[in-house]
Amino acid sequence: MTQGNDSPADGSPTINQPAIELSGITKTFPGVVANDDVSMTVAQGEIHAICGENGAGKSTLMKILYGMQSADEGTMRVFGDRVDFKSPTDAIDLGIGMVHQHFMLADQLTVLENVVLGAEPTKSGGRIDFEAAKAHLQEVSESYGLDVDPDDLVETLGVGERQRVEIIKVLYRGAKILILDEPTAVLVPQEVEELFRNMRELKADGATILFIDHKLEEVLEIADSITVLRHGKTVATLPNEGVTASDLAELMVGSELPSPEITESTVTDTVTLEVRNLTVGGGGDRPAVDDVSLKVHAGEIVGIAGVEGNGQSELVNAIVGTVSPSEGSVFLSGEDITRRNVRTRRESGIAYVPEDRHHEGLLLSAPLWENAALGHQTKPPYARGFFIDRAGAREHTETIRAGFDVRTPNIDVSAQTLSGGNQQKLILGRELTSNPKLLVAAHPTRGIDIGAQAAVWDEMRQARKDGLATLLISADLDELIGLSDTIVVMFRGGVVATLDPSDVTPRTLGAYMTGAAIESDDRTDDLKGTP
Amino acid sequence: MGWISSLPGWARWALYAAIGIFVLSLVQTLTGETTELTSVGTSQAMLRWGVPILLAGLGGLFSERAGVINIGLEGMMILGMWFGAWGAINYGGWVGLVVGVMGGVLGALIHAIATINFGVDHIISGVAINIIGPAGARYLSSEIFSGYDGGSITQSPRVPGVGKFDMPFLAGGDVFGWQSPDLLGTIGELEIFFLSDVANLTRGLMSQVAPSTMVAVALVPISWYVLWKTRFGLRLRICGEAPKQGEAQGINVYLYKYYGVLLSGALAGLGGAFIASPELGGIYLEGQVNNRGFIGLAALIFGNYRPAGILMGAMLFAYPFGLGLRDINETASHTLLLVTAVAMAAIALWATSKGRRLDMVVAAVMAGLCAAWYFLSDTVPDWWVNILPFVIVLLVLFFNAQRLRVPAADGEPYRRGE
Repeated sequence: MTQGNDSPADGSPTINQPAIELSGITKTFPGVVANDDVSMTVAQGEIHAICGENGAGKSTLMKILYGMQSADEGTMRVFGDRVDFKSPTDAIDLGIGMVHQHFMLADQLTVLENVVLGAEPTKSGGRIDFEAAKAHLQEVSESYGLDVDPDDLVETLGVGERQRVEIIKVLYRGAKILILDEPTAVLVPQEVEELFRNMRELKADGATILFIDHKLEEVLEIADSITVLRHGKTVATLPNEGVTASDLAELMVGSELPSPEITESTVTDTVTLEVRNLTVGGGGDRPAVDDVSLKVHAGEIVGIAGVEGNGQSELVNAIVGTVSPSEGSVFLSGEDITRRNVRTRRESGIAYVPEDRHHEGLLLSAPLWENAALGHQTKPPYARGFFIDRAGAREHTETIRAGFDVRTPNIDVSAQTLSGGNQQKLILGRELTSNPKLLVAAHPTRGIDIGAQAAVWDEMRQARKDGLATLLISADLDELIGLSDTIVVMFRGGVVATLDPSDVTPRTLGAYMTGAAIESDDRTDDLKGTP
Repeated sequence: MGWISSLPGWARWALYAAIGIFVLSLVQTLTGETTELTSVGTSQAMLRWGVPILLAGLGGLFSERAGVINIGLEGMMILGMWFGAWGAINYGGWVGLVVGVMGGVLGALIHAIATINFGVDHIISGVAINIIGPAGARYLSSEIFSGYDGGSITQSPRVPGVGKFDMPFLAGGDVFGWQSPDLLGTIGELEIFFLSDVANLTRGLMSQVAPSTMVAVALVPISWYVLWKTRFGLRLRICGEAPKQGEAQGINVYLYKYYGVLLSGALAGLGGAFIASPELGGIYLEGQVNNRGFIGLAALIFGNYRPAGILMGAMLFAYPFGLGLRDINETASHTLLLVTAVAMAAIALWATSKGRRLDMVVAAVMAGLCAAWYFLSDTVPDWWVNILPFVIVLLVLFFNAQRLRVPAADGEPYRRGE
């Protein structure tokens, strides 16, 4: 595995050697060059950020570094030794640990089982020494202030806790180099601060941290140096001194940073969507949505803020019709649609961009034109009476492709071949060209690159101007504040605040989302109620 | 009822079993039609019938915990039965069991290659095994058993067994030639309500038992220990829960899936060999596996993918079969109708307390039908006990589907590095 050439005799990392040195890394997948002659150096004990748009090759580079994929060309050195990883085990052995963007935890196993997996201390007969494992876990969690209960089932944990488990898992194996893949994507601002505090503690303890992020303010706050990738190439490695967010953005996309700002108000008096005292679930358990009332007017974007799992998904499902509420009603343009099924709701003008585009938004193995017809398959141009209108559907798909800049060789390729951003543009095009009254958009820009993000925002702004009512659910607080005319904060299934985006910051919003503002802030009562 | 779910698995199942026996002995005492519901003979027959189901269920456990659905258990059992019979006829009972295990592994190897290496849909591969198994066994019979004295294209000569055994002290077994007291037998003969019934049923599990049966029962705690207490088990389970996560920790997912599927075949093969042994058939006979592989899968689901539950499921499904064998004048099956009615009424009450209206109505209607049938007839046709296990499976799936904890990645194709 290692072919030591200039390694020190005792095998310990030499002080002045860089922790990681990559040169000329190239990795090609059929039809795509993911990494093209990438070179970078990460010094020991620094926090090194890697920025780049989606598809710039960050994740592939990290997978190569962690031994999950092997590079076609180029060399890697870890603490000065040339290495050639065959599997993650090789990387783990050299003290490299990775926290993946999508957590690598098994929900039905306990925290302890998840942490020890692959590095189990055993007694004779292959029996796991759970006592020793627990002691070691607690030692790690105490020395870095990472608080978890080893006996909890992972499925009962929140996002922040899961991330702590991931970090503990890596430290448990004695990692000296930590790779964090978009660690802040799923966290609220308060949790991000907690994470950054942990990262600084780790750094003080001598760890080297490599992290991927495309929120530039965060990068500038925590990183010591920054490497920017674009189209699989290293554009620059800079120390974090005097660099601004727009400098980085320009390096990343070669243009200026898009912003989600909206201009003049287009809100009308016409109520398009009204949700009245809606409750979902309950019957013994705490209801997922608890007595929520809200109105969305034509030409208005109402943003819903909340930590994931506070009833937003259930609210969306109740509006779209995939779950039936236990109490309350939903009105579309004055008509009670509470008892209607999903298809009739869609036909009466609800457009829907689902939270998980792979599971709910697209049929990944079906061609684009079939995907374009999804949800609208009963209406022209996709259908003629009982039959699918193939020609009409294809023609309309071409319109979407042109109008929404869906980058694809043709409309017969399967949806899985598109990048996340292009998939999302296809979905948005499908929904907005169906002539809707209401758009329900759940996390419309999650996990897509800056270019596609700007395009999605443009389309939503344009639709708003044309009088579309939009309900926007997002975890990206800048997006919520920038796009919304009104922000509604959900906490434990209920609406805890209705705010004017012009006078909130991500920080104050975060305080409402975690429930912290509710006890401390008596303004909440005044702010309650429908806009 | 919260305290029940806080009990460890084995204690919870023991409690359910005790409640079941209580209902049996209550109904039996009140109706006075029969004593077979709780007799030693019924219990012995149940155990013999239950062992192949148990082994198939445990086989399914190892495979599905590793993330590979195995409906090919039936085919693997058929191969195990053939090879078990062949091995036993030529080399004796114990060797027969070992050769049977190898026959099951052979079937499992095909399933493993198809599903793990080639990414074939697990159901399709399983169906293929279920076609290949009997066809292969028939071909081998025509080539080999046809040439034996007393064999033919569909059956083998008599298969030797591995002897029988009584538990000392509890069931009057020998200790180095000395006849020990028969404690449970004594209690059973006292005819005390419930206590004697428990003693009889327990004695049935301990007297005239083949050592192979004891091995099968011992595999229940062994499976639990291996899967939940060892490194091997944790790594195997991660393949069924979250294989990508396992891969990220440097675990060879393919290898552990192979272990799971091959162990599955080994256990199914042992179950098949058991069917051919004198404990059940005493010969290889085509069709003798008789869907026990599928019933084993049902026991797996009934037991919620845990060994103690699988044991209970296997015994519950085997009970009506065992009773059917003992039931000469069909009065016991008739009484069992009333037991079923009581059980359905209990389910109806439980569903009411949970506020599940549809379940309550279905259970109440079935309770009413069973009770009506019982009171309007004197005997029941013999197909009743034969379909009862399948009815139980359907009921379990109907009433318990939401509580089942299937391994999260069960049945999903896995490709390294994707």
